[in-house]
Amino acid sequence: MTPAGFTVAFAALFWGLGGAIWLLMRRRYTHRQIPQFFMDLLGFPVELAQSLFGRAGVPYALLLPNMLIFGFFTFLPMILNFYVSFTGGASISLFDRPWVGWEKYADIFNCENFLSPKSCSNPGYNFWTGMFNTLWFVLIQVPILCVAALITALVVNQNIKGRGFWRAMFFYPVMLSPVVIANIWNWVLHRKGALNASIGEARDAMTGLAGLSGFDMVATVIFAVILLIVSERSLRSNDGPSASWTAVFGALIAMLVYWSQPLSLLGLPGSGWLGLVMAAGLYWAVSTEQSFARMAIIGAGILAVIMLLMIQFDAVFSFGRYRPINWLVTPKTGWPFFWLVFVFCWSHMGFYMLILLAGLQAIPRDLYEAAKMDATKPFRAFYRITLPLVMPTLTVVLVLSLIRSFQIFDEVYLLTGGGPGRETFMVVQNIYEVAFSNDHPDYGQAAAGSILMAIVIAVFTFFQLWLTRRQSDL
Amino acid sequence: MSRLATFLTRTAGTKDKADSFTIQDFLAYAYLFVGVLVILVPVLWTFFSSIKSDTAVESFDTRLMPMDQISQMVDGVGEKDVWVYTAEDGRTQLVFKAGPTRKLTDVAPVDDPEAVFQVPRKSLTPHEDIRVAVENYLDPILKRNGQDNFHFFTYLYNSVFVTVIATLITLLINAMAAFALSKYRFRGRLTFTILIVATLLIPSSIILVSLFFVVWSFGIFGSLWGVIIPAAATPTGVFLLRQYMLTIPDELLEAARMDAASEWRIFWRIIIPLSLPALSVLAILSVIWRWNDFLWPLIVLISDPAAHTLQLGLTQFAGEFDTNFHYILAMTVVTLIPITLVFVWLQRFITTGIATTGLK
Repeated sequence: MTPAGFTVAFAALFWGLGGAIWLLMRRRYTHRQIPQFFMDLLGFPVELAQSLFGRAGVPYALLLPNMLIFGFFTFLPMILNFYVSFTGGASISLFDRPWVGWEKYADIFNCENFLSPKSCSNPGYNFWTGMFNTLWFVLIQVPILCVAALITALVVNQNIKGRGFWRAMFFYPVMLSPVVIANIWNWVLHRKGALNASIGEARDAMTGLAGLSGFDMVATVIFAVILLIVSERSLRSNDGPSASWTAVFGALIAMLVYWSQPLSLLGLPGSGWLGLVMAAGLYWAVSTEQSFARMAIIGAGILAVIMLLMIQFDAVFSFGRYRPINWLVTPKTGWPFFWLVFVFCWSHMGFYMLILLAGLQAIPRDLYEAAKMDATKPFRAFYRITLPLVMPTLTVVLVLSLIRSFQIFDEVYLLTGGGPGRETFMVVQNIYEVAFSNDHPDYGQAAAGSILMAIVIAVFTFFQLWLTRRQSDL
Repeated sequence: MSRLATFLTRTAGTKDKADSFTIQDFLAYAYLFVGVLVILVPVLWTFFSSIKSDTAVESFDTRLMPMDQISQMVDGVGEKDVWVYTAEDGRTQLVFKAGPTRKLTDVAPVDDPEAVFQVPRKSLTPHEDIRVAVENYLDPILKRNGQDNFHFFTYLYNSVFVTVIATLITLLINAMAAFALSKYRFRGRLTFTILIVATLLIPSSIILVSLFFVVWSFGIFGSLWGVIIPAAATPTGVFLLRQYMLTIPDELLEAARMDAASEWRIFWRIIIPLSLPALSVLAILSVIWRWNDFLWPLIVLISDPAAHTLQLGLTQFAGEFDTNFHYILAMTVVTLIPITLVFVWLQRFITTGIATTGLK
C-alpha cells in the first residue's frame, strides 16, 4: 500500500469510527433519527470544525474536499509537470527519476530548420508535426466554429416556430460521446458508406436527366425565370435593395459564374472563386447601403443573362462515372483534415450556440424597437447593435473554443488515428503516445511537450483576449 | 385554399406581420432544416444500419429498410439462400444455387431440388423480406456467436458505477464549496474564488502526464476510483451552485441558527433542498461528462479489461473485429441510447442550464 493510500484509509477510519463515537457522545438519536445520524456523520468534519473553531472554521471545512481535489489533481500536477519534464527514464516512482536538466527540451528544439519538422530529431519531429497540425486545425476550426455558432444562434433567436425544438436539435451532438461520434462518421464516410453512395446516386440521376433532349433549353428557361424573380424581388423596395434577396441572388450568380467559367476564355482557372467574390461584393454593397448597390445588382443581372446563354447545361450536369473517395484515408487530398474540422464543428457547435444565444437574449429589445423607428436596415442593426453587444459573449466563446480545439484528441484518435501518414497528427496525441501507448514510455518528454503546449495555449489566449479587448472598445 | 396557405406560412408575431412569410423566414427555415438534416441523418443512418443483417451491412446496402435474404430448408440439400430467377419472358421462379456462382450458374427450384438448370448470373436477384437483425444487439450482449471478448455487462456496470458515484461526489463537494463561498464571509474568500477560476483555465490535457503520477502514487491507478476522484471537483459546478445559492435569503439561515441548528444541518436541511434546481442541472451535466469521458479512462483503465467503461469497450471492439461492422454499429447505438433518453427528457434543463452558466 502506498503512503498516500494509507493516509486515505486512515482518514476514512477516523471519519467513520471517530465521527460515530464523537457524535454519539454529544447527541442523542432515537430510532427514527438514524438517517439523521448518517447525515451528521457525513458532515462530521464540518461539525468538528464548528465545535473547535466556532462558525469561523466552518467555511474552511466546507471548502476542504473540493480544495483537496483541486490541489492534488490540478495544481500539484501543474507544478509536478515542470519537475517531470526535467527528469528522464521510464520509472513511475517520482523519486527514482534521474535529473536530466534541459535535455528533454533540447531534444524537442534539436532542429536544423524550425519551420520544417522533418529536419528535427525524432521527438522534435513528432512534437512539431503535432504542433503545426494543431495550429492549422485551430486557425481553421475556431473561426468556422464561431461563425457557424453565431449564425445558428441568430437564426434560432428569431421569431420562428418551434424554437425549443431547433435549439435542442442543434445541441444534441454535444451530448454524444467521442467514440459514438467517431463510429457514426466512420460509417458514413467509409469508402462504400452512405456519403459516397448518395453522391454517386445523385450524380447518376443528374447525368441521366442531362442526357434527355431539350434539357439545356428547359434548364436555361427555369434559371432565367428564377433570376428574373429574384432580381425583381431584391430591387423591389424603394429604400435600397433587400439584403436577404440579394444573398439568394448572389448565390445564383456564384453558381452561374462557376458553370460558365468566364475566365477560361482568357485561359485562366479560378472562375469558382470569381463567382464567390462577386456574390460577396454584391452582398457587401447592399448590406452597407452603398449608393451604387442598385446599379451593381442590375449590372450583375445583365452579366448573369449573358452567362446563362453561354452555359451548356447538358454538359455541366453530365458527370462522369463517380469513383468513391476514401474520405478518411486518402493522403495528400486534405479530405481527412476537412472531415476532422467538419466533425468537430458538428459535435461542438451546439454548445457555443447556446452560450451565444444566452448573450443574444440579454440584448434589450428596446434597442431594436428604436432602430425600427429609424427605419434601420436589418444588416445595419446587426452590425451596430447585435455585434457590439454580443461581443463579450463572443470573446468567451472564442477563448473557450480555442482552448478546446487545441486539446483535440478523441475525435482524431478514433477517426483517423493521426493518419494518413501524419496529416492529422495532433499535439495531444503526441503526448499520449510518448507517455502512455509506447513500449518505452518517456514521461519526461511528454511533460516537456505538455509545458510547451501550455505556453502556446497561454500565448494564444492572451493574444486573442488582447485583440478582442481592442475590438469591443469600438 | 388561400386561407390554408396563410395558415401554413404564417409566422409568430404581431398581427400585421403574421400573414407575411418573408424571404428572411424562408432562409431561416431552410438553414434550420438543412442543419437538422446534417445532424440527424448520420445518427439515424447508423441506427437503421445497425438493425440490418450482417450480409447487408458487409455489402454496404444503402437501402433504408433492413432487407435480408430469405434462406429456406430445401429437402435433401439443407439450408439454402433463396434467389428470384427472372426468365426472359418475365416469369419469375424461386430457386437456390446448386453450384458455384459463374456467368452461367446452376440453380434448382426450391420445390424441386432435383431439376437443376443453368441460368445467367444477372437474372438472379436475392429473394428478400424485411427482417430486423436483433442478433446484432444480442450476440455481443449475451456473448453468443464467438463474441466472448466483449463483456457488455461489465462495461455497463463500470460506466454506471463511475457515472453515479462521480455525480454524487461532485454534487456533494461542489455544493459544500458553493455554500461556503456564497453564505460566509471569511478570510481568503477571494483567494479561494480565484483559485477555482484558475482551475477553469488549466486545460486538462496539459496535466495528463503528472496527473498520471499523482493518481498512481495514490494507489488508485487502474481502478475506477482513478477516474472518479480527479474529476470530482468541477469549477463549473461550484460557480453554477454559488450563483444559485446567492439568491437564497440569509434570513432562513439566521432563523435556523436561532433554533440552534448546526451549520452542517443548515446546509443539509435548508441549502440543499432549496438549491435542487441548480443541483439537478449540475447532475445532468455531470452524468453527460462522466458517461462520455474518454481520454482519461483510456489512460487509467486500458490495461485492465475488467475495468473498461462502455466507451473504452467500444473502441477495443472496433479494433479487434474490424470487419464486424454490424456489431460495432449495434453497440454504438446501445451506447448512444441512454444519453439520448436523458436528452429527450431533460433537454429543457440542459439547454437553459448551460446557457445560464456559459461554462463547460
